[in-house]
Amino acid sequence: MATAFADQLRSLTDDALGALIQLRPDLVVPVPSDVSALAVRAQSRGSVARCLDALDEFTLAVLDAARLSRAAETALTSVAAIVELAGDTADPVDLRVAIDRLRARFLLHGPEDALQIVGAVDEVTSPYPAGLGRPADYLDPQAAALCADRAKLRRAVLAAPPGARAVLDRLAAGPPVGALSSGGTVAEPVRWLIDQHILVPVSEAGRAPRADGELVELPREVGLLLRRDSGPLGRLRPLPPAPDGPVREPKSVDSAGAGQAMEAVRYVETLLEALSAEPAAVLKTGGLGVRDLKRLARAANLDEPSAGLLIEAAYAAGLLGEADAAGNGRGVTASRASGLVDEIFLPTGGYDLWRALSIAQRWEALANSWLAMTRQPGLIGQRDDRDRPINPLAPDAERAGAPQARREALAALATLAPGAAPRADEVLELLAWQAPRRARGREAAHRDALAGAATLGVTGLGALTSYGRLVQSDEPPTDSDPLGAGPGGARAPGASNAVRTLDALLPAPVDHVLVQADLSVVVPGPPEPELAAELDVVAEPESAGGASVYRVTSGSVRRALDVGYTAGDLHGLFRRRSRTPVPQALTYLIDDSARKHGGLRAGSAGSYLRSDDEALIAEVLADRRLGPLALRRLAPTVLCSPVQIARLLGALRDAGFAPVAEDAAGSAVLARPRVRRAVSRTPVSSRLGDQAGPPLLAGPRLAGVVEQIRRGDVATRAARRAPVTVRAANGQQVPGLTSVQAHTQAMAVLQQAVRDKARVWVGYVDSHGATLSRLVRPVSLSAGYLRAEDERTETLHTFALHRITAAVVEE
Amino acid sequence: MTGGPLIVQSDKTLLLEVDHPDAQACRMAIAPFAELERSPEHVHTYRLTPLGLWNARAAGHDAEGVVDSLIKFSRYPVPHALLVDVAETMDRYGRLQLVNDPSHGLVLRGLDKIVLVEVAKSKKLAGMLGARLDDETIAVHASERGRLKQALLKLGWPAEDLAGYVDGEAHEIDLAQNGWTLRSYQQEAVDGFWAGGSGVVVLPCGAGKTLVGAAAMATAKATTLILVTNTVAGRQWKRELVARTSLTEDEIGEYSGERKEIRPVTIATYQVLTSRRGGAFTHLDLFGARDWGLVIYDEVHLLPAPIFRFTADLQARRRLGLTATLVREDGREGDVFSLIGPKRYDAPWKDIEAQGWIAPALCTEVRVTLTDAERMTYAVTEAEERYRVAATARTKLPVVRALLDRHPDEQVLVIGGYIDQLHQLGEYLDAPIVQGSTTNKERERLFDEFRSGSLKTLVISKVGNFSIDLPEAAVAIQVSGTFGSRQEEAQRLGRVLRPKADGRQAHFYTVVSRDTIDTEYAAHRQRFLAEQGYAYTIVDADDVLGPPLPQVD
Repeated sequence: MATAFADQLRSLTDDALGALIQLRPDLVVPVPSDVSALAVRAQSRGSVARCLDALDEFTLAVLDAARLSRAAETALTSVAAIVELAGDTADPVDLRVAIDRLRARFLLHGPEDALQIVGAVDEVTSPYPAGLGRPADYLDPQAAALCADRAKLRRAVLAAPPGARAVLDRLAAGPPVGALSSGGTVAEPVRWLIDQHILVPVSEAGRAPRADGELVELPREVGLLLRRDSGPLGRLRPLPPAPDGPVREPKSVDSAGAGQAMEAVRYVETLLEALSAEPAAVLKTGGLGVRDLKRLARAANLDEPSAGLLIEAAYAAGLLGEADAAGNGRGVTASRASGLVDEIFLPTGGYDLWRALSIAQRWEALANSWLAMTRQPGLIGQRDDRDRPINPLAPDAERAGAPQARREALAALATLAPGAAPRADEVLELLAWQAPRRARGREAAHRDALAGAATLGVTGLGALTSYGRLVQSDEPPTDSDPLGAGPGGARAPGASNAVRTLDALLPAPVDHVLVQADLSVVVPGPPEPELAAELDVVAEPESAGGASVYRVTSGSVRRALDVGYTAGDLHGLFRRRSRTPVPQALTYLIDDSARKHGGLRAGSAGSYLRSDDEALIAEVLADRRLGPLALRRLAPTVLCSPVQIARLLGALRDAGFAPVAEDAAGSAVLARPRVRRAVSRTPVSSRLGDQAGPPLLAGPRLAGVVEQIRRGDVATRAARRAPVTVRAANGQQVPGLTSVQAHTQAMAVLQQAVRDKARVWVGYVDSHGATLSRLVRPVSLSAGYLRAEDERTETLHTFALHRITAAVVEE
Repeated sequence: MTGGPLIVQSDKTLLLEVDHPDAQACRMAIAPFAELERSPEHVHTYRLTPLGLWNARAAGHDAEGVVDSLIKFSRYPVPHALLVDVAETMDRYGRLQLVNDPSHGLVLRGLDKIVLVEVAKSKKLAGMLGARLDDETIAVHASERGRLKQALLKLGWPAEDLAGYVDGEAHEIDLAQNGWTLRSYQQEAVDGFWAGGSGVVVLPCGAGKTLVGAAAMATAKATTLILVTNTVAGRQWKRELVARTSLTEDEIGEYSGERKEIRPVTIATYQVLTSRRGGAFTHLDLFGARDWGLVIYDEVHLLPAPIFRFTADLQARRRLGLTATLVREDGREGDVFSLIGPKRYDAPWKDIEAQGWIAPALCTEVRVTLTDAERMTYAVTEAEERYRVAATARTKLPVVRALLDRHPDEQVLVIGGYIDQLHQLGEYLDAPIVQGSTTNKERERLFDEFRSGSLKTLVISKVGNFSIDLPEAAVAIQVSGTFGSRQEEAQRLGRVLRPKADGRQAHFYTVVSRDTIDTEYAAHRQRFLAEQGYAYTIVDADDVLGPPLPQVD
């Protein structure tokens, strides 16, 4: 059969083969050696599952129809059979298109009237195609007899009491299997149905046994009967569901989005500035602590989920990184495992570069990182399986599927008309239709993606913005580039389309301010970087957003004076920047502050020299021999010098003065010179353990040696007793078998032995690498471990399966 | 980018550029929902607060409209999150209603069952709610109406009070508009109040708040209880009411420390109501003494905490609050909102001044340099005494004298906070002093003399902060105050803002000691007025003291 499949592939034209590879790119990773290998891979479970994941709901339903319509003997179906099965629930044209989709992917192959389904499809999809149970004659002869007589079956179903009818309807809608509650008592309606053979109790081999009771299954024939009204395949939707959310004016969408984008950039800046002012510690388990998140969120006036999202995005964009507490960036070699260095989160050097970009470029950097980051910020603040809260930047919020989920969600929005603002549920429904197998279990990730898009301003008023659309499509399409080897990393320099579009929406930077009498300074728009830097120094920010409001305070003026502005500079600055006359109050404030600035002077000195005798001080200062001391007069009675006190005293004494040292409290300190000595040494005679002869072994080292010897002994003894194959497997290959095959064989032996409760020789490698054999009675074989009892020592051993080299039943 | 006059900030402040051609239209559009926070000369700041948004909602504005006007006038894109927040906040008002049920009396009705369930299980409402009548209604005892509203506001689910008001005992009151008429903004204020049922009217000092009260009484035509800050203010009210309404002296009672009259219109002081004997409030009976149809609270920003508690029990009566500023130093604006009512009318001071209703004022800060001896004293003073030392510096005295000399023909008030300093001033300037210990009789005599013009200069202490009406005071000189109190500064400025007969310029001087904490407090006090658009001019004491410079050209 595989050959037939391969032959079909081989007979394809190059174009057709190329088309297949385009549809299923994973077939050529790595490139198969020949068409047979390609065929094997195309029929493998992994590849088929991946192919099914990308199919929409309708196509999958048609595939289910194909599975249902297979003839019992040949396992073949045909286009006609599928169309017939679907009946009037779907347009034959739609069906045919879907069938062609399946054939193009070689999930169905063969001629139209003898279509064959790739075997792996049954393995990777539900055993109940279209939610219908298995045929009655497979399940139970009595049910088969009932189903064979359609009239009788219909009567039986119609006679069902209301409770039983409800159970039937539920199972008919699929899945057709229901669990019975534990405790042995079966509810009356179900009991009735089982008695009538409408439901068949199953305890299925294919499914794991359920602790909460047995299962019942609705035979396929009964299901089809119950689905008379809705059609045998249930409700079919050949077209994606159309969201009926409001449609906004694309202009207001862009406007709201751009406003939000601007906010997001500003928030990131505020968060990182707050972090820079007071760095947050890296938790032992990785990530940022809850308290730090709260603090940062408060500083930025944000709610915690948004703050968490923006911190994650900033980290992904490389604006934020770890450093050791001393402030050195974490090098490649410094490992977190050392645990000795306390680490902190700090803005990186990249942050400073990022700040120099335009708002739109800054936003793009954030948005692209957000799209690509393998993190799910929505998990932050939730509890993990051990009921501990998940922190931002912690490994718990890592989700490999997150970028894919974000792209899917945005792509779903992009398929809609511009301005369409579907509700989150509608987007999820659309995604569930587009790729049901993939969307299942990803609802949270998709919701998270939509929430993130709103926070970052990729969407506005719930609809995708024009620049958001560009960012979303700027991403290299993954299908054509599965290895990410495309030009994504080496994008052409210069502004991307998204940046240009967003730039046009954002307000132009302004270079002037309005100064008012209440000392507030209003920048009526986003300030130019230079203006922002000036204002950061001379005023306190009060309110930020589209415009910014600063207030000049005596503190802020002092700060400006501290960094080198003079009063004249400040007056000039405000005169130059202000469009309005500078109020008198501000002029006074600057002058008053400047007057007081520097009224106190502080400095450091190595030593001081004081005397109540001003003449004496003058004499010292005038003495040229004391020039090297660089004495400076602070007051008529005080001199200071940068040199240490000992040198000062020495020099003064040499010059014939009689100084006395004093301590911090001012009392005189008298000192006698210390005699110099070398470091103490131990005399040779008292050294211990210097006798000749071999070293004495003691303690753990001795025990180790003994254990090693004994282990060798045991191994030899056990090996002598063990059968040849077990011994032979230890260390060398059993002739005729590869090691994998030998292992497989050993597993088979052990499985049988568990069932037979037989004793087995087990050869294994212990944790020291020694090979041993042991005669044991296997008890269980699960979760990678063999548990077996050693009857001789009456102990229960646990062997890791991968350490077992051979197993032979005791003769 | 629309190039509009408004900039919406993410901290929910709105910046309105006054010189923009659309500024006036924008102000009209945003006034209903945004609180005017500051109005300096170029850029006015409004703030979106939950209270303001709920006020707007109460007045019938919906979220859609608010969002529309923000987007329409905004110069820059408005952040999406802010719009969402506005809509959500506004949506919270009115989900709960207090209504009168014909069979159960006062009930809390939830238009949203989930909200009702949420608030019903809140511990803060324990004991206020009665039996659950059905899915949507819970009985409320009539006496809990005020406290329930207060608590619901704190929970963020403000209730709409539709339970109505009792009419009270009817009493014929008319405005006697002989030779004067109600100003347009006063009429607007009364209409706004009456339509809302209860609430606060914010007007600058001297803008005729008393008349708004009188007009409200004439609209209610019912017995009225007026609560004022002190006896002098009460007498002032009485004089005004007799002059401007059909009420006669006999119909107006005074309920104060001296007299305990209860008449159809009764004026009571906060002080007497909050006085206690043995831990119990002894004058609470006043609230039940008559079936009041209207309660007027003068100077609502000073309302003492116990009065809030009494007010909680008066929710079935119409309440009118009058104030120049809603800024409370204790931050209890929320209680004013829930217990007295939302703000019903507000006008920027400068607008009213521009219309000529209050006198234009020139504010000047005079900086005196302390003598070296005074600086040394100041330098070594304990922190808690520093302000007193700086504010009461003797150096200020000659400056005050010099300022008086600048206005030889004007009525001048010298205002201070420290009695010792006032006595010094009194002696130095040879002027009488009104202080806390001055008897009411003496006070009235001095005020009458001042009013008549026979007394030119009056030194007053903190007692003068409130509600004394001195129409012809054209100059006020402030030498010390209550630390950095902003509302005190506003009140004192109000003393000179009442319109002068000849439309003269009013002057407001603050004398401060340079390089001391006095300057800092002065700056803090001036913040409020600067935000109202009053720019202070700073002059040096030497310029005041020295001879005027000769003209050289």
